[in-house]
Amino acid sequence: MIRQLSVLLASLAISQAAAPLPDKVRFNAHIRPILSNQCFACHGPDEKHRDADLRLDTREGALADLGGYAAVVPGKPDDSELIKRIISHDPDEVMPPPKSKKPPLGEREVALLRRWIEQGAEYEGHWAFLPLTKATPPDGEENPIDAFIRARLASEGLTPSPEADPATLIRRLSLDLTGLLPAPDEVAAFVKNPDVAALADRLLASPHYGERWGRHWLDQARYADSDGYALDGFRAVWPYRDWVIKAVNDDLPFDQFTIQQLAGDLLPNPTKAQLVATGFHRNTLINLEGGSDPEQFRVEAAMDRVATTGSVWLGLTVGCAQCHTHKFDPISHREYYQLFAFFNHGEDRNNKGATVPVAAGEIFGKAASAVADEFAPTGEIERLRDEWEEAELKRQRAAGDKADAKLLAALLVHSAARSNPDRKFLNEAFEKAEPRARKKKLGNGDPEAKLVEQMIMRDLPKPRETFLFQRGDFTRPDKALGPLQPGVIAAVQAAYPPPQRQFTNRLDLARWLVNPANPLTPRVTMNRVWMRFFGKGLVETEDDFGTQGTAPTHPELLDWLAGEFIRRGWSLKAMHRLIVTSKTYRQSSHARPELAESDPRNQLLARQERLRVESEIVRDAALCASGLLHPEIGGPSVRPPQPDGVYAFTQNAKSWKTSTGPDRYRRGMYATFYRSAAYPLHTTFDAPNFQTTCTRRIRSNTPLQSLTLANDPAFLEMAASLAVRMARGGTTLDERLTLGFHLALCRPPTAQELTALRDYTTAQAADFAKATDGTASARALAPNALTDLPVSEAAALTCAARVLFNTDNFITRE
Amino acid sequence: MNPQDHQLRDITRRHFFNRCGLGVGSLALQQMLAGESQASVKIDPANPMASRRPHHTAKAKRVIYLFMAGGPSQIDLFDHKPLLEKYSGQKPPESLMSGKRFAFLKGNETLLASPRKFGTYGQCGMTLSDLFPHHRKIVDDVCWMKGITTDVFNHGPAKLFMNTGFQAPGRASMGSWVTYGLGSEAQDLPGFVVLQSGPRGPRAGAQLWSSGFLPTSFQGVPLRGSGDPILNLNSPAGMTRERERRFYDVVGALNRARLDVTGDPEILTRLNAYETAYQMQTSAPALMDLSAESKDTLELYGCDPEKPSYARNCLLARRLIEKGVRFVQLYHTNWDSHGGPGENLNSDFEKVCRDVDQASAALVIDLKQRGLLDDTLVIWGGEFGRTPMGEVRATLGRDHHIDAFTMWMAGGGVKNGIYGATDDLGFGPVEGKIHVHDLHATMLHLLGFDHERLNFRVQGLDMRLTGIAGKLVPGIMA
Repeated sequence: MIRQLSVLLASLAISQAAAPLPDKVRFNAHIRPILSNQCFACHGPDEKHRDADLRLDTREGALADLGGYAAVVPGKPDDSELIKRIISHDPDEVMPPPKSKKPPLGEREVALLRRWIEQGAEYEGHWAFLPLTKATPPDGEENPIDAFIRARLASEGLTPSPEADPATLIRRLSLDLTGLLPAPDEVAAFVKNPDVAALADRLLASPHYGERWGRHWLDQARYADSDGYALDGFRAVWPYRDWVIKAVNDDLPFDQFTIQQLAGDLLPNPTKAQLVATGFHRNTLINLEGGSDPEQFRVEAAMDRVATTGSVWLGLTVGCAQCHTHKFDPISHREYYQLFAFFNHGEDRNNKGATVPVAAGEIFGKAASAVADEFAPTGEIERLRDEWEEAELKRQRAAGDKADAKLLAALLVHSAARSNPDRKFLNEAFEKAEPRARKKKLGNGDPEAKLVEQMIMRDLPKPRETFLFQRGDFTRPDKALGPLQPGVIAAVQAAYPPPQRQFTNRLDLARWLVNPANPLTPRVTMNRVWMRFFGKGLVETEDDFGTQGTAPTHPELLDWLAGEFIRRGWSLKAMHRLIVTSKTYRQSSHARPELAESDPRNQLLARQERLRVESEIVRDAALCASGLLHPEIGGPSVRPPQPDGVYAFTQNAKSWKTSTGPDRYRRGMYATFYRSAAYPLHTTFDAPNFQTTCTRRIRSNTPLQSLTLANDPAFLEMAASLAVRMARGGTTLDERLTLGFHLALCRPPTAQELTALRDYTTAQAADFAKATDGTASARALAPNALTDLPVSEAAALTCAARVLFNTDNFITRE
Repeated sequence: MNPQDHQLRDITRRHFFNRCGLGVGSLALQQMLAGESQASVKIDPANPMASRRPHHTAKAKRVIYLFMAGGPSQIDLFDHKPLLEKYSGQKPPESLMSGKRFAFLKGNETLLASPRKFGTYGQCGMTLSDLFPHHRKIVDDVCWMKGITTDVFNHGPAKLFMNTGFQAPGRASMGSWVTYGLGSEAQDLPGFVVLQSGPRGPRAGAQLWSSGFLPTSFQGVPLRGSGDPILNLNSPAGMTRERERRFYDVVGALNRARLDVTGDPEILTRLNAYETAYQMQTSAPALMDLSAESKDTLELYGCDPEKPSYARNCLLARRLIEKGVRFVQLYHTNWDSHGGPGENLNSDFEKVCRDVDQASAALVIDLKQRGLLDDTLVIWGGEFGRTPMGEVRATLGRDHHIDAFTMWMAGGGVKNGIYGATDDLGFGPVEGKIHVHDLHATMLHLLGFDHERLNFRVQGLDMRLTGIAGKLVPGIMA
């Protein structure tokens, strides 16, 4: 694909547009971005699309004799064809050629290339693939994070921001670590004694920490409660979600966390929890639409597993190599299919496949229900059914005149096209032939079932052969090349001392990913952790650590964090604690005019960022402020109230029996997520659609979000409950409104804010008291519980609470 | 806007345009500096839906896409095949079948002649069956594309492919791409609106108008036929318009107070979003109110103003684009004529044809009368066509066919007439083949975009509607 401007180039442009050329031109910092952006598409790793048999991604290629001349002649820029071509004015000569639609190289780029060739045209490996450097934090700061950040700030002549005020800090840490708002008494205690380390310890020990950070992981796992595609039926995979929450709460070391999810089934005598962990890669889509070719969608799912593994652990766009060798990164077409081979042996084939029965609470240690044994996994039944149909069809065809005509006729019709009587007839015939089919089925179609079959990974006893698919098309296997063995990306492997060589199954792949010598996994993981706390990663293209990604703003810090992660036994909690206790994290997020000039994108972190919270947290915050939150952890997904008409636009209406009782007030992450028609709040506030892995959410800011917060009946119900708390907690209007600020924004109002809200509430109450429709209107809005207040005042309090939910501050972590 | 707002915006602007020494061509770079580091289009973060200019001057300024969900049978509507009558009941030639994949056919099906009567109409000489009498009126006002071909033969994936250029969910839909590129001229309505009619929603649902990896500002917003036209549009019971003005004012006051403290320009965007939301509360219901439409207009469409229908949606589509909405997409189900119950090629097919024939033609006529057709691109078609072979279920039907089917386009820069032809049995194009990617490239071109340069970076790739393919089809452009 055609690239426009490399992001790296952008960051160079900020600081160096007018800067003098560096004394020593470095390949990674200066040259690779130019070549990758302008040249590699035709002169890069992909030999199928290489022009003029010239490659510039290796020194060997660049120096190769092209028949009396060479693209690059070290020390001699004027003899180098590359320089001649990029400065040529002849449209037939100039590089990049006009047909590439790339802009010509700028003066500075040409000058950099000249000086690089003058200085010997040395190449360097791509930074992300090089081993972790042993970075020593600069002196002078207790927390190494601050040492790195502040040294850089000082070198740019910038000063860090002061620490945020304690009320902001406790709201920030609570939202970042648990996704919940602190209660007013917790805020008051912290303001009196702002001990951040103690606060961090308390929040990290909260069971809600596993929900908050588990949810981040579930984004990457593309977790959802439905199959996807056209029919998009319900699937019960919440046991996997339970496993993630528990693993995060237990601080399961990240290497184990990885191995169990990618290959728990291949561990010796795997526990049920380890099997459930493999649900990670069973979150792929299943297409049950009539007439679907199961092989096609099996391959799609396996390819998604390759792409997801590549994105999540390696931060590489492995999927690009599905159709051809990667244009920019050293991932060959063949290597892609070697990775594919790890995932090509799965038993599941666009169906439920292998499963394990799990009861609600079981993952959290509650005794599993004994009834589990009575149930037969429906995946197995599906398989038996397919086998039976195939065998029976053969038998009946072979029987000639003696064939059962009715049976044969029914079998000949495609399963999706059968009439209902035929369907019933075949079911009976099957159950007669197969006693196992008569066991009870688990309640997977029932969203409320407490005992379900979690889909898990299991490989076929005899592996499928893996072929390279030409142009990525599964109907075009390259038989000439022959079957491929599982294998990994050589360029990443190169960092290994000594290289791991044997690869047979997913367990080998998982172990390779978390081998401490693999520099990508810890870098990518730490970068994403950083992104959650600061809004963007040290490598801003957190999903692309390849040559087209951005270089880290603080390479030493990134490598130090990656190394420290391993040194601390892959403990995420330890790293989170380190970050949230740093001065860098604790800074104020307020804009500073002088920074807007020198570092408008806040890449150097002279301040924190204000971040709008995720869709689930928007709901959770309102549940906290209103006091309605039901804090139960895990279990089946629930159905909070949603506006009417969500399914008017789907093929089949989903069952959405609105939860009653406490389930109505569960956290947003438990709202049932249908891929084809998500809970509207989630879509409106940028939750991904979970068709593929999501490593970073977008933060948009739209009128539909405003309408949701202002008018969604669920938020109005929560506003009414907040109004009740405000009324009960104070006697004067000012006390009540101030309490509302404390409950929703975790801080007192400024005098200006209090005046604005008081004037509004008073005017609104007077309006309700006076207007002809006033009493009826007020009755519709006043909380039922507030019978002791005049209805006009009670309704005005609901209105005031609604205002608080609609402030930017409420949905923003400052 | 208070002085500090201006100052903040100025700081931001200055950085976009001056400080970095960037030329006009570096829009992508400016966007990267704006924080969303992936866009090839420069978007004002305070107003992502602001109207924008495309790459080149173009006639089409907006799109109405009439999506015939399920796959209409071109054999029974447009692509008359007399030879099918001769060979009806016989097996198709092996040479046409080898290597083909079908959704449901098992290999023993036979050719099936269309039971419909065909006539030849207009100067272009287009053949139309008796099921589409109203289309005769627009026969010379549209471009008939008879050689459309797609890659996928199941509904969900094929609909995604037609809408997003990719068969798995997760990419951005055409309407999202267009609003991303052009913004919208409607500041009090969503820029990309979806309407639905027929017995059920389209397969794959909201995935079809998803913004995918693009910001959700560009997602299609379903406008509902009954109840609140937009989810959560209505104020809570008891909140009159006047009370809501008071509410929006105090929310604005508190947000501005926070802006003063934090200096975060994101709050400006939020202020803007709340004002738009308030406007939408009146503009969306006003749009649904058809009382001002003349009797002639209602009759032209065959529309009962009180009843949700395809005809009413066509009229709403015209009203939407009159308000400046950029992309309107109508879905009408169900065209899936396999021959099973509710989907036979006789009465069921006749019904769905009646549902859309008059209003589709009326839309073109109405737009033309109002001078709107010149700069509006109207597209009509399904996700694939139907096979020349019959499929035997409860009755005779046809299976999904991806190699050749008919779509039409009208208005904005389109060259009217017939483009392309299929072989004598209707299996594949013999001339004028248009792959979905090529159709996308051409549509974007008609709207002023080079499809290779309208992109958005995701996981290291510059994604575009046309994937890595797409060629312009000059023969369908005026």
